[in-house]
Amino acid sequence: MEGNKGNMMRRLLAGLTLPAALLAQSAHADENLFGYVAGAETLPKGSGELYQWVTSRDDKGQGTYHAINTKTELEYGVTDRFSTSASLKMQSIDTHGLIIDGYLPKAEKYGLRPSGVELGMKYNFLKPALDPIGLATYFSVNYDWLDPHSGQDKDTLSMELKLLAQKYFMEGRLIWVGNLGMESTYADRAEIDNLPAGFDWPTDPEMEIEFKTGTGLSYRFVDNWYIGAETVYETEFETEVGQERWSVFLGPTLHYASKKWWATLTWFKQVKGGGEMYAGQQDHDLHLVEKTEQEVRLKLGYNF
Amino acid sequence: MNRDWQPLWLVPAVALVAPAAHGTQYLTTTQAQKLLFADASRFAEHPLTLTDAQKDAIRKLSGVRQRQDSQPVWSAMKDGERLGWFIVDDVVGKHEYITYAAALSPQGEVIGVEILNYRETHGGEVRQADWRANFAGKSLQDTLRLGRDIPNISGATLSCRNLTDGVRRLLALQQVALRDA
Repeated sequence: MEGNKGNMMRRLLAGLTLPAALLAQSAHADENLFGYVAGAETLPKGSGELYQWVTSRDDKGQGTYHAINTKTELEYGVTDRFSTSASLKMQSIDTHGLIIDGYLPKAEKYGLRPSGVELGMKYNFLKPALDPIGLATYFSVNYDWLDPHSGQDKDTLSMELKLLAQKYFMEGRLIWVGNLGMESTYADRAEIDNLPAGFDWPTDPEMEIEFKTGTGLSYRFVDNWYIGAETVYETEFETEVGQERWSVFLGPTLHYASKKWWATLTWFKQVKGGGEMYAGQQDHDLHLVEKTEQEVRLKLGYNF
Repeated sequence: MNRDWQPLWLVPAVALVAPAAHGTQYLTTTQAQKLLFADASRFAEHPLTLTDAQKDAIRKLSGVRQRQDSQPVWSAMKDGERLGWFIVDDVVGKHEYITYAAALSPQGEVIGVEILNYRETHGGEVRQADWRANFAGKSLQDTLRLGRDIPNISGATLSCRNLTDGVRRLLALQQVALRDA
């Protein structure tokens, strides 16, 4: 009976997630040791995983800025090397006391509301515990209707492609991962009434391209518990302004895993940044137009 | 689209609150001894403390580091004759240590392997007889590598690799520390 139920659930999940394969997607397969960088392993054929991400983004140096982004994701192992996933994203924001020309037009405050969807897939070329180094590629299509920076209405369609490397050391107690990725985005902002005089809020569609690279190291210090550190460099180019921004985030990661579920907590601090700055920005060593001074991310995963 | 769905993200979070899985002991040492040496009438404890030189020799022979200074070893006996060695060992799993037992013949061949404890998310197949049977008859003359003469189990590659390396290490341990015992 249990077996029949399990088979039915797997077929249902396959039905839900296989269309994702046709479009391609962006979820991080298997147990996540890190909050922001991803490993190269994939789920075994016929198994599934439910993920819940919560990311808190805080502080642009002036005024108040606090946003929460969530992602609820289902992933399914189509083969031992290929998995697909589908996600629903949500967002809340509370910003006031800071206006950034072209980016942050007014105070905004709302609770969690749906902000986008994501379809993804991951293919593993080399297995980290079997081959000299693990290697996978990850592809996703995202459609978002809320701007993550201002919280305003903004339709974006983006495609992301990543190369994920992973290596085990010390019989698997020490794990290194390295990521290289590119994201192309088509964005179209909605018009806003009653903008400040002379405020630049372009509503013509624009194209952006982002390059990112990151690395992380995690060590199992006792059974089930890992401690690590990770860092990500991102830079974005836009049609009108060229290099719009770059930033380096760095922070510690704590991970707990048991047989069926796991949790990962990362504090991610912007340590260096550049590109566009807002008028009156005090800290010239950070990019605070689209990024915040820090993020905290909690991920939960459940295997079935 | 503008309605706030404040409590919605909590739903999957609540679904994730599952009781922590505790390790399952599938076999006790005594049960594993009887399975691997059904004909034995007695298991004589053979305490083994390894010197640094012996640990180096094990690493050189097997290519795997011998972490522990001491190893639980029994001599399986019948009518005063040694049937082989019964060794209990731990290897690193993805989340916790995997405890297993290996039965080795006096000539240095694997008689069998039994899994005593396995707590990982995937790869419960390591307990199945057909996977463990791949070790039978293997010696240090064989490759004894995951993905070559020992098949991989998807989702449990690290556990399978460490178990395979562990058995190879125990064969080296027997040659270094038990050959003349």
